[in-house]
Amino acid sequence: MTTRIQSTQLRHRITIGFCADIGGRGFHLPNSIALRSDGRIYVMSRSSQVHPLGARIGMTDLKEEFYGEFGSRGTDDGQFIGPTDIAFDSKDRLYLADEQLNRITIYDADGNFISKWGTPGNEPGQISGPSGLAFDSNDTLYITDQWNHRVQKFTPDGNHLGGWGEPGNGPGQFNMPWGITVDNEDNVFIVDWRNDRVQKFSTDGEHLLTFGTHGQDEGRLDRPADVAVAPSGAIYVADWGNQRVQAFDPEGNFLQLLRGEATMTAWGQEYLDANADESQARQSYRPYIDVDAETPDEASARVEPYFWNPIGVETDTEERLYVADAARHRFQVYEPAK
Amino acid sequence: MATTRTASDIALIAHLMRRAGFGATRDQLEALAEMGYDRAVDELLNPSEVRYMPDDLLRRYHMDYSDLRGNLSSSSYWIYRMVTTSAPLEEKIALLWHRIFATGQTKLIQGKVIVTQIDMFRKYGAGSFRELLLQLSRDPAMILWLDNQDNHNGAINENYGREILELFSMGVGNYTEEDIKECSRAFTGWSIANPEYMAIKMRNNTARPFGYIAWQYLYRADDHDNGEKTFLGKTGNFNGEDVIDIICEQPATARFIARHLYHHFVADEPPVPQWPHVEPKDPEAIQLLVDAYFDSDYNIGAMLDVLFRSDFFKAESARFTRVKSPIELVVGTLRLAGGFQQPTYDVYEATLASGYMGQALLNPVSVEGWQGGDEWITTGSVVQRVNYASKIIGDTSRPGVQSIIQRIRNAAADQPLTPAALVDLALELTGPLSPPDETRQGLVDFANAQGDLTPDDPKLGAKISELLQLIVATREYQMA
Repeated sequence: MTTRIQSTQLRHRITIGFCADIGGRGFHLPNSIALRSDGRIYVMSRSSQVHPLGARIGMTDLKEEFYGEFGSRGTDDGQFIGPTDIAFDSKDRLYLADEQLNRITIYDADGNFISKWGTPGNEPGQISGPSGLAFDSNDTLYITDQWNHRVQKFTPDGNHLGGWGEPGNGPGQFNMPWGITVDNEDNVFIVDWRNDRVQKFSTDGEHLLTFGTHGQDEGRLDRPADVAVAPSGAIYVADWGNQRVQAFDPEGNFLQLLRGEATMTAWGQEYLDANADESQARQSYRPYIDVDAETPDEASARVEPYFWNPIGVETDTEERLYVADAARHRFQVYEPAK
Repeated sequence: MATTRTASDIALIAHLMRRAGFGATRDQLEALAEMGYDRAVDELLNPSEVRYMPDDLLRRYHMDYSDLRGNLSSSSYWIYRMVTTSAPLEEKIALLWHRIFATGQTKLIQGKVIVTQIDMFRKYGAGSFRELLLQLSRDPAMILWLDNQDNHNGAINENYGREILELFSMGVGNYTEEDIKECSRAFTGWSIANPEYMAIKMRNNTARPFGYIAWQYLYRADDHDNGEKTFLGKTGNFNGEDVIDIICEQPATARFIARHLYHHFVADEPPVPQWPHVEPKDPEAIQLLVDAYFDSDYNIGAMLDVLFRSDFFKAESARFTRVKSPIELVVGTLRLAGGFQQPTYDVYEATLASGYMGQALLNPVSVEGWQGGDEWITTGSVVQRVNYASKIIGDTSRPGVQSIIQRIRNAAADQPLTPAALVDLALELTGPLSPPDETRQGLVDFANAQGDLTPDDPKLGAKISELLQLIVATREYQMA
């Protein structure tokens, strides 16, 4: 049974990150966040084909400590070409989906390679462009199978357990699904990317709820990328095309809109401290300007505190929300207002 | 279906599509020929529908398009549009203005603002030249490219004031040094938000701490020189808009723009710095375009309408007389071979190839853009041009190549194709191209070694593919 959540609004708590496109402390085009059981934050920098050193997984925490990084672009064990999502199982093993190599890579809690599996194709148990990962309470792994327009279930070792979905826009159908999560009650939420909606299912694939439709108004979505559900039942959707995150209640009713309000990070401040001319020029910098842009993307490009391509969302046991702010190479953390 | 098209119709339409677009497949040419030349021009100038690879697909797949930061990202993003668009003239017009109003990533560093500038060219490039100059003067990339954020009341920076006259509208010899100063005064206060921080991030070439911040135009009234100015013989308290009005009234501006249009779409003119001293190649054509400029209240689309329907454009002597620019060659070959069906990392190879041939998109070699013409051809660039075109057209998995192969297979169904017939058909389907006898004979000699072609030949695809690779290496394919 889902408890109706309070009307508590989120407020910005902290921003963590720094643009680091050749590795090192910071991120490059981060797409996904996963939380280890002790609260350590794993951030997957997807980076891109033109930044061969940018892709990796960095480790930090809410105190902005940097614990190193692992993984790199490539096809060897532990490497990836098109990483899309990361998720922990109950044993703190980290799983990574690679939409280019069509494989799942498994690391231990410290980032050491354990194993990999995955077969490309469109038969049951094969995957084509895996884009989202989530575990239920039994450690069953759910994968959004992007180009096959479906979700598939696997054991942690890759044994196929079933799945559902087909191309289309009806209940239980998908158009290039992206993010996925499983809430505390084992409901499966899937972002149906090109249908601009979120669908909720039981672990057996029974369709329970659909919310969202295309648009820019509150409650509407434009190419949503990811979804997370807090312990209270609040649903957070990375409304990628609209450059915002929206909160919904368990029935899919709109609650709150977040546009992003990043603050200076510890790593960013250290950089400015070491570069006096930029630090000096930033004294007169007014980030919030009266934007005359026609699109949310262009507005985000001009206002640094806004989210710019928010792609991954994650929640923790304290009702905190983590937003991977891809094009700003950082993540923003929100928490319930006291 | 009844058909009225002739080889002559197809050849003329193909000429139009090479110049107003990036060439066309045989299927497209036949459809356009059915439509008729004038309607094809109408459709180019006023496309009924503009389709291209959707942005959301591109940005999900190419994460670097999230911020369009580097040159490879920003320029490949444009190449997608050029390869997949159903409105190629829009892109050719954007290329025209990108060459004339050249800004580059070498100085501006972030690609995003130049992509936004290209969007502006796409939106305003075929409309009023006055509006285009106005948008250009407010374009943040242009402002920082020519340092107008440093153009202050009482302390002018002449860069933009000079270039809007010399490079963007009138050309050398039609104004004085005093006009440049007065023009610059009129553009004081035309700046961007947060100029100090943005300029230093650009100068330091740093995306840290959180990536680049796209620039926004900001008019600073408190930094504008409100004094009286005398510009090109007129006196008043001019602002930038007034100066643009005066510029657009000038016959020199009409001639300058007409000559650029002629150079871009018809035939190579000498380098721009020589224009004050060298008469246009076709003075009557230029005058026709000048008249269209004034008759249409400075409308570029109206000038192009006249140009594409003119005898000087349609003449057989005008065909295959321009060297394809690297972008025209790369994009045209990709479109002929079937374009991009889905997002693909192949776009980066296409982007780099154009750069290796001498045209790094969004990064022109100087403020004068690319001269083009014979300058595209060097020993090294020819190798790059031939290698790239051969590689693309030699890929028999591409739908456009498959279409050519299927047409040839169909033609061979009734009776085997002789080597000469095969060559002639292949030339038809890749142009149509009419190489000189010596070149054609070389192709026939190559085909001779393979014997007659039958539709059930297991090596049919490979044989045709090898012939196509030779054809794109010919001089005729490299010309527009």
